[in-house]
Amino acid sequence: MMFILLQTNPLEGWFIGSGKAYVVVGVACVILIGMAWWLLRAENRLSRMEKLLNSKKNAPSD
Amino acid sequence: MKNTLWKALGILLLAYVFAITFLVPLGPGLLEFQNVDRVISSATENRSVPEYQLIGYGTHWDEEPDALQVFVKSKSQLAALEVIRVDDATHATIGLTLPYSLPAKSWNVLINHPVDGTLLLENGLFLSDRFIDAQATWPAPSFVEHPGNLGFHFPYQPRIIETIRNLMLHVPLWFTMFLLMGIGFVSSIKLLSNPRNELDDQRAEASVQVGLWFGVLGLLTGSLWARFTWGAWWVDDPQLNGALVTVLVYSGYMVLRQAVEDERLRSRLSAVYNLFAFVILVILLMVLPRFSESLHPGKGGNPGFNTYDLNSALRAVFYPAIVGWMLLGIWMYLVTLRMKRVNRQIELLP
Repeated sequence: MMFILLQTNPLEGWFIGSGKAYVVVGVACVILIGMAWWLLRAENRLSRMEKLLNSKKNAPSD
Repeated sequence: MKNTLWKALGILLLAYVFAITFLVPLGPGLLEFQNVDRVISSATENRSVPEYQLIGYGTHWDEEPDALQVFVKSKSQLAALEVIRVDDATHATIGLTLPYSLPAKSWNVLINHPVDGTLLLENGLFLSDRFIDAQATWPAPSFVEHPGNLGFHFPYQPRIIETIRNLMLHVPLWFTMFLLMGIGFVSSIKLLSNPRNELDDQRAEASVQVGLWFGVLGLLTGSLWARFTWGAWWVDDPQLNGALVTVLVYSGYMVLRQAVEDERLRSRLSAVYNLFAFVILVILLMVLPRFSESLHPGKGGNPGFNTYDLNSALRAVFYPAIVGWMLLGIWMYLVTLRMKRVNRQIELLP
């Protein structure tokens, strides 16, 4: 989609013309994917801990 | 499945926002119309005329150089100027073919071009060496506004220029902070009506904790924007100072929670503090700046983006950005809340 957009309106201005825009998008996407990965991992760990806690709670006391 | 879907939607929306925000080109605009202290022989006038250079941003004058038209306008008086030559896509040499007697000193510069459309440079020409005669008039040249022939692009705004892309970060970050602080506010009210509900206390704390991150990011992106558009990292402005005070007030909430050891007292005290903090947020960010002069768009008589330049291209990214950032904020809030609940359960284990 981006290529279609850029073909209809050629590269212009220093921001896109100098290639800085691609660096910014790359860094932003790496940060975003990193955050999503961290949140998913945290959720998985939390689910495991919640299960463990529930099993401990429900375990018969000695 | 539903639980994963909205999170994926948030991330996809933000990926779309980042890509479009930084890769879509900016539309054309006029930067400067400057006297180059040279006099040239005009092709249309029987005299020498001062030479000016017209500088554009993102313009395409070299594509159809003969079609470039330049005008100056003051009130209802319009005059055509002579285009001597087009130097490149963004530079053109113009002959100032105006009579000695003029009705005004300050003029707007207008251009017409088949690709770029009609562009305006407000007060781009100031003539201090002419005789001012308010009655001076001449036949107006034919001028028809041209829509231009450009693809998808963001609007050019003087002074803001490329930094308009920050709109997709700065504003949604504050909206997300508002949402999270709103969740905290409701949770605090619920806690005060039922002090035994520990979950509401955890909700309030988690929402403020995550909301503060968004507030700090909002301050940073705002300061960066101010540096490029106003020339300073921070200016003494009611909106900016209000935003800083709001973040400090909510930081005080986190400090208060750490300072009180008794759990029941802590939850009730911090809930009352949170109610006041939210009221302060509304007053400082939404009410007071509207009653005082402010550089910030949308405040103190200064029009907001939505009134004059939030066009359809910006809206196509701005609204998804708001939804995307809010979904990410809610996801972070829910993870933080679950962490607090698990920690609490571990504390209560025998």
